[in-house]
Amino acid sequence: MRALIIDDSAVMRKVIERALRQAGLELTEVLQASNGEEALQALRDDGGKPHPLSLILSDINMPIMDGLQFLEQRRDEKLAVGVPVVMITTEGSEPLVLRAISAGAQGYICKPFTAEQVKARVLPLLRVA
Amino acid sequence: MPATENATPQNEIVNRLDTAVSEVFEMMLERSCDPLDGDVTIVDGRIMARIQFTGAITGECILYASQATAEVTAEALLGAVSQPCDPMVDDAIGELCNMIAGGWKNKLEHPQASCLISVPAVTREGLIGLEGKFGTKFSRTYSFQGNVFGILLAF
Repeated sequence: MRALIIDDSAVMRKVIERALRQAGLELTEVLQASNGEEALQALRDDGGKPHPLSLILSDINMPIMDGLQFLEQRRDEKLAVGVPVVMITTEGSEPLVLRAISAGAQGYICKPFTAEQVKARVLPLLRVA
Repeated sequence: MPATENATPQNEIVNRLDTAVSEVFEMMLERSCDPLDGDVTIVDGRIMARIQFTGAITGECILYASQATAEVTAEALLGAVSQPCDPMVDDAIGELCNMIAGGWKNKLEHPQASCLISVPAVTREGLIGLEGKFGTKFSRTYSFQGNVFGILLAF
């Protein structure tokens, strides 16, 4: 499966990828973006590929374009429709969680997290998708 | 900082910080991390990361560490040995500060918990100019496996 990880920290992108592999996901390709704008461009470029993305994981607090703006723009442009999005962020306040869900996020994980938590949040979404 | 948060006992602020630090280390680095008494001795070339709080709380969280501690932190997060001058080292210290500041913020009561946090800024230019802006400060030092770092919360 293919996944897109969006985080302004390269360290965190690697940590998240490792957690996904520990969760048992067989990742054949991991696209990376350091902000929402890069992620939108990656989705535009990825349209029509024979093996579409299976999962998007995104931070919220990022420079240039944050994760919430990314979600809203993705919805408006109808990019990667049907691909589950899980937010992984230090921002745990209820208004932000609600805004993320209303903009199309299906899951929410607060940093710090364990690989087990990633597995518990992500796997059910992949079974449904 | 709002008047209600000014009335928060100092030990409550520090306890929240200790808990946030412990959670980050146990969950993300699979290590225990304990508070120490006293300030960290100034180390040449130390790295600092800063997160700013805005909105319901105005202030900042500054994490500072030696190069050696920063390298160990990066290795623990990544599960791989870091290289000399590896940009991942600065990135790891920024993300450590981000998770600790976010964890501390998320433990606050409403409405303080709704404050916003910035993306981390990492510098090697010292604390000068970073710590003089706010009046109330809480300084704390921590150690994991003999590696020491400090955190300053200022409001």
